[in-house]
Amino acid sequence: MKSTPKQQILLGNEAIGRGLVEAGLHFMTAYPGTPSSEIMPAVVRFGQEMATPPYCEWSVNEKVALETALAAAYTGKRSACAMKQVGLNVALDPVMSAAYIGVIGGFIIISADDPGPHSSQTEQDSRLLAHFAKLPVFDPDSPAQAKSLIAPAFALSEQYEIPVMLRPTLRVCHARQDIALKKPLALKRPANFQRDPFRWAAIPKMRLALHHKLNHKLAAMAQQVAADPALNTWHCQPLAKKAPLGILSSGVAAALARDVLAELGLPVADGPIPFLQTAVPYPLPLAPVERLLASCARVLVLEETEPLLELLSPQRERLWGRYSGHVPSAGELTPDALHEVLERALKQAKIKAPRPRGRLLAVPDQAPPRRPNLCAGCAHRAAFFAMRRVFPTGIYPGDIGCYTLGMNQGAVDTCHDMGASLTFAAALSRVHQLEGRAQPVVATIGDSTFYHSGTPGLLNAVHNGARFVLLILDNETTSMTGMQPTPETGLTADGHPGRRVDLLGLVRGCGVSQIEQADPYDLPEFFKVLRRAKRHAAKPEGGVAVVIARHACVAKDRGLAIPRRVPVTVLAPAPAAAPVFSPQLKACADCGRCVAICPAGALKRTGKARVKVDKKKCTSCRLCAAVCPTGTMVLEPARGCTACGLCGTWFACPGLARGADGQMSVDRAWCVDCGLCLHVCQQAAIVQSSQAAPTGQPA
Amino acid sequence: MMATKNKDQGWQAVVAGVGGQGVLFVTRMLALGAQALGGRVLISEVHGMAQRGGSVISHLKIGDFAGPLVAMGQADLLLSLDPGEAVRNFGFLRSGGAAVVNAPDAGFLSPEAQKALAAHGVRLICLDAAGLAAAAGAAKGANLALLAGAAGAGVLPFPAAQLKRVVLEASPATRKQVNQRLWEAGGPGV
Repeated sequence: MKSTPKQQILLGNEAIGRGLVEAGLHFMTAYPGTPSSEIMPAVVRFGQEMATPPYCEWSVNEKVALETALAAAYTGKRSACAMKQVGLNVALDPVMSAAYIGVIGGFIIISADDPGPHSSQTEQDSRLLAHFAKLPVFDPDSPAQAKSLIAPAFALSEQYEIPVMLRPTLRVCHARQDIALKKPLALKRPANFQRDPFRWAAIPKMRLALHHKLNHKLAAMAQQVAADPALNTWHCQPLAKKAPLGILSSGVAAALARDVLAELGLPVADGPIPFLQTAVPYPLPLAPVERLLASCARVLVLEETEPLLELLSPQRERLWGRYSGHVPSAGELTPDALHEVLERALKQAKIKAPRPRGRLLAVPDQAPPRRPNLCAGCAHRAAFFAMRRVFPTGIYPGDIGCYTLGMNQGAVDTCHDMGASLTFAAALSRVHQLEGRAQPVVATIGDSTFYHSGTPGLLNAVHNGARFVLLILDNETTSMTGMQPTPETGLTADGHPGRRVDLLGLVRGCGVSQIEQADPYDLPEFFKVLRRAKRHAAKPEGGVAVVIARHACVAKDRGLAIPRRVPVTVLAPAPAAAPVFSPQLKACADCGRCVAICPAGALKRTGKARVKVDKKKCTSCRLCAAVCPTGTMVLEPARGCTACGLCGTWFACPGLARGADGQMSVDRAWCVDCGLCLHVCQQAAIVQSSQAAPTGQPA
Repeated sequence: MMATKNKDQGWQAVVAGVGGQGVLFVTRMLALGAQALGGRVLISEVHGMAQRGGSVISHLKIGDFAGPLVAMGQADLLLSLDPGEAVRNFGFLRSGGAAVVNAPDAGFLSPEAQKALAAHGVRLICLDAAGLAAAAGAAKGANLALLAGAAGAGVLPFPAAQLKRVVLEASPATRKQVNQRLWEAGGPGV
């Protein structure tokens, strides 16, 4: 047991973890996802201060996490379950029933929203799902408030025997703030499951009774929340006289709006604008909202991301918000978005800002957009490159994780939700096969995402006779969200004994017969494995061919990922030249490989075992000559950079920089000496540094 | 102590760069520096996908603030580990603010841009932190060299020596010597 310090600068997610531990948490589950991922590690870390640390597990997905923590709460344990907002969609099935059936021990569902969105597929507002499921929801404005709401949330949950939701947004989760720390509460709650099938296994008829009961609970909770001054903050005293404008707000928008008003010279503490912030938007605390409405001519509603307060408030015709068009209906409420909203509202309410914002500094220069990219040395990049080489006409359904960044290499055609690469691949190959057309389809999915929701799609595809290639990018970790262990490692969140779940065995268990494992760092071998998979999926009697691309994550352990350093050099520029079709050398097999693979679309089949080269379009990348099985396409390697750009578009490594003249060079600030790009350049312009000195000139 | 137009409002900064350059580390050091002087601190960070080589920006507010984001036109300081990211984020600066940029000179800006900065009363400080860090034998330490440069230029709300102490205290034992060298390379000479 460690001792408790008094004050620390904590990340919002750490503050939430701290709050859970201080409230005597017994049982914690989560699936990682930005912006929620740091909650679990914080619970594990702070839990060390307790005599009995809470049980912690990374579950395989959010549905599993939610059910696991929920059942623990049935026994009287204080439980929590953390996820990102789209994870809540995965868990929605058990959430809906949980409101009816309820809990014994306090249960907090933490769903972290991402207005913007910055790292998510949607901007969805978890508070609306809480409303949909009929669960109370807490909406904190800061790390400090998030922490302070946890004890009241547990108390409410236990008083009404109902799960509650805590909905932090990205700007709470990834804000840092000084936080006062208290000693963790030691809460003795021996597991005590009371058999009550009429509740825990309620049949539909009983569910109706439970629904009535739930409605009564919500009405009582709304009254109780309304009467609690700690949950409804008046940032000023409401004026006796009628004010032209008031503000109703919750969450981060409430905090930022106060800062913006202060910057405009209208600090809310002494300003003329009554400002009510509620920490519980649902069930709506009606009395304070009615008091606000009674003291203001108009009320501006500021909340993220959807209009929940606005929907639930009385007298909607007097509200200014998303329904009235005063607040933008998409995007984050940044200080600048709020500034525009407030400026317009103040103007309409005829309130003058003493310090209007002056002209902003604007420079005429433009910075090129900088997109995120796979790390230098990432094995996924090599796998994607090989995939494009072997399946030049393929459709590439992708999935959710670091490897979505394969988009930079033209290797991701769809990205929808966790596990959709597989189901999309089954459908996209099927629709072509139904028409008798051969359309290669290669799905890519990461290991953690496959464990999360890959198996149902895979066994469905196998069972229904789908034929496509599934490339599982296995780096033995959940890298995008911060290296959480996957079931493959056998490692657990808090170090309790776990067991390895073998990926290969899992794939085999889904009924797949064609499975190969290969290391993308051995590119020539990886090509061969992909070709075998391609043949299996193409055969009418074939099926799903799975390739497990196995290599350690370079961001997690560079030494492990790059066991041998291979410094490379780009050789000095060489003149570009188009390939020549030379039927006199050997007979063209008219296979069309060169036409399919040409990134510039410069080659055309003529129908007479002859290929036409459009020299204007040709970038001289030499891929056609490299793939020609008969040697009819001829172009000698230039042994110097021809500025073709192939490595930029198909490999897209941050370690390779393209100059204004199109010439490539090694960017030493990013290059990690993985040596993978040696296999990319078909002009033999990228060479090992040790071999560059005697024969060529470095660029 | 605080170089803002409204003393009571505190001090605001934006730290910009590219994922992997150490934006978060610099921001945390500034926060610890402020905390050591008893200031209330709010930071907003970027995690997740952008950390993979994309544009990364963090916000820091010291004083009596409620929200963690800096509004355009309100930052006292823009500290940028990359010249392109500086160009993208100049709009955060208040008139009379300071920009400290990892660049050998102002050549990354067009003459018109330099004029716009001057007209806004912005003090532009360019420091070849990448070069200095490489010369100090720690090419990845440009972030710390630039922070030292900013401290030395007197654009922070606390003394350079104070921040140096905080940085070295926060450095793991294996990094202490390197960070000491980087700090000295950055130039404040304390």
